[in-house]
Amino acid sequence: MANTNKVKAVNPNNRIKTFNVINAIIFIIVAFIIIIPMWKILSDSFDLRTSYGMRLWPKQFGFDGYMEVFGKVSLYRPLLVSVLTTVCGTALALTLSTLGAYVLIQWDMPGRKFFANYLLFTMIFNGGMIPTYLVLSSLGLVNTLWVVILFPALNVYNLVLMRNFFEGIPGSMYESAALDGCTPFQTFIRIVLPMSKAALASIGLMFAVTYWNDYTHYKLYINDSQLYNFQMKLRDMVMGSDLPVSSSLANENTIKNAAIIVAILPFMIAYPFLQKYFVKGVNIGAVKE
Amino acid sequence: MSKNVDAAPTATVAVSTTTKWKKIKTKMWKYRGFYLMFLPVFIFALFFFYLPMIGIRYAFYDYNGLKEATFVGIKHFKTMFTDPFKSKDFFNAVLNTVEISVFKLLLTTGFAVIVSIFLNEMINIHFKKVIQTIIYLPHFLSWVVTASLFSLILAPNSHGLINTFLLNIGVIKSADEYIYFLGSSAWWRPIYFLINLWKETGWQTVIFMATLSGINPELYEAASIDGAGRFQKMRYLTFPAIRNTILTVIILNLAKIMNLFESVWVLQNNAVIQTSQVLETYIYNQTFNSGRIPNYGYTAAVGLFKSLIGMVLVLVCNHWSKKVREGRGIV
Repeated sequence: MANTNKVKAVNPNNRIKTFNVINAIIFIIVAFIIIIPMWKILSDSFDLRTSYGMRLWPKQFGFDGYMEVFGKVSLYRPLLVSVLTTVCGTALALTLSTLGAYVLIQWDMPGRKFFANYLLFTMIFNGGMIPTYLVLSSLGLVNTLWVVILFPALNVYNLVLMRNFFEGIPGSMYESAALDGCTPFQTFIRIVLPMSKAALASIGLMFAVTYWNDYTHYKLYINDSQLYNFQMKLRDMVMGSDLPVSSSLANENTIKNAAIIVAILPFMIAYPFLQKYFVKGVNIGAVKE
Repeated sequence: MSKNVDAAPTATVAVSTTTKWKKIKTKMWKYRGFYLMFLPVFIFALFFFYLPMIGIRYAFYDYNGLKEATFVGIKHFKTMFTDPFKSKDFFNAVLNTVEISVFKLLLTTGFAVIVSIFLNEMINIHFKKVIQTIIYLPHFLSWVVTASLFSLILAPNSHGLINTFLLNIGVIKSADEYIYFLGSSAWWRPIYFLINLWKETGWQTVIFMATLSGINPELYEAASIDGAGRFQKMRYLTFPAIRNTILTVIILNLAKIMNLFESVWVLQNNAVIQTSQVLETYIYNQTFNSGRIPNYGYTAAVGLFKSLIGMVLVLVCNHWSKKVREGRGIV
């Protein structure tokens, strides 16, 4: 009797351990599948010998690919455009989202409902690619950096996320601010924004990634290669139409690989520290909405 | 006398409307700062969302950007639906949009659910965190980077990881048989779906993991006491807990299926245009890549069709969402 009990007690434990091991192994494989394509590009970007094949470690190590990328004046400009639009765009986008969100939580304000619907309607219906192009073109915005900074700055979805977050600020904070004689704008600057650092970080990062990764708006509204951002330049390079003439050991594929790494490097460095803010951003939306 | 009786109520009504107006006016004055703060948002929406809607009128005009627009009524819609050449391309693009979007949505959501359930079973917190960090990563790569990366990895030459791998394990016999994955109409869609799985599955698990972490651990203990095994718990506890989240994710994304553009555009090339052309790329290619003077009218008409279908989808999904999510809509 005691014996059978013992067997029964041990068996599930063993099964659980096996399960955990198999589960861990599966996830290690999954992680490798995610990493290997990126690792391969990194490895090849340092490899001066082509015919990379299945090598996951450079055969002839060298920085020449990167020297080509950073040695080309033609790549500085796109990098500068990317940095400029990302910084300006994110600042502007955060300003618009917080202002809009703050106004939308004034439940007693006459016309609040109209403003909310005014914004929400843009999520239901839009002019479409060509009418938008024609109108922006007639406004003189096409082929200027204004369009790629201004256009993505108003994102109603992110504005609603911000509003959900602001709703969580206790009403007593506003009341005491009003008692202290704060104007709405002062309340906004001194109470609302300092209390929303987490949301500002999350939504700000989402905007920054959007601006840094933007390709569609450039493709549609920018023809002038002087105004290309790094994504546009990278695309042209990888498609082979705009490769810098190589003057060193690096061949064109090594340069391509190096350019891809340069495009993702700033994000890769920051990502491990910022990941929690990105996750938080999704959860603000998921939990409340 | 009777005149007076008639007049009295009218006067009260008049008075009450004026006092109401006065009240609203004082309230509006009280909120004046807020109106000012909303002004920038209002102007942005006006310029970038509402003014472009005026441009929809071009759907009923012939317009090439050079000559004055001439009104042609519903000519472009007739072309779209009945012209032997154009309607073929148009219907092909509509079908591709729906097929690619829906399949992609179901595939990534399905995989994300499975990954989340197993990730949730992970006991070592640090290991779980590392795995999560890794699988979220590709979501943040731009589509240009993703396409560049895979076009190098899938290259049909001795640089390509996949082709040399296939050669080494003997699936393909010689260098002549290298498969041009992104340039073959048989391979393009499977590869497109795989790339999407690689890029988005991990990030999709965030929302499911959030729901799973909200399950009361006592439920699992109670189930263990009742003798439920691990897989039974996954089947009868974990899965039902995220069923509503799954539905939510599907509804939210179903509303957006017509918007497919960038991911297809960066992976597309002329060799696979039939199987990869979706509505937005069709509009773009017809307008800017056709090699002729663009007829903005025709592509605006296709765009209007797309926007209308999109609107119906959003409204249907919104209605559906309110039903299954206790009154919460998506817009």
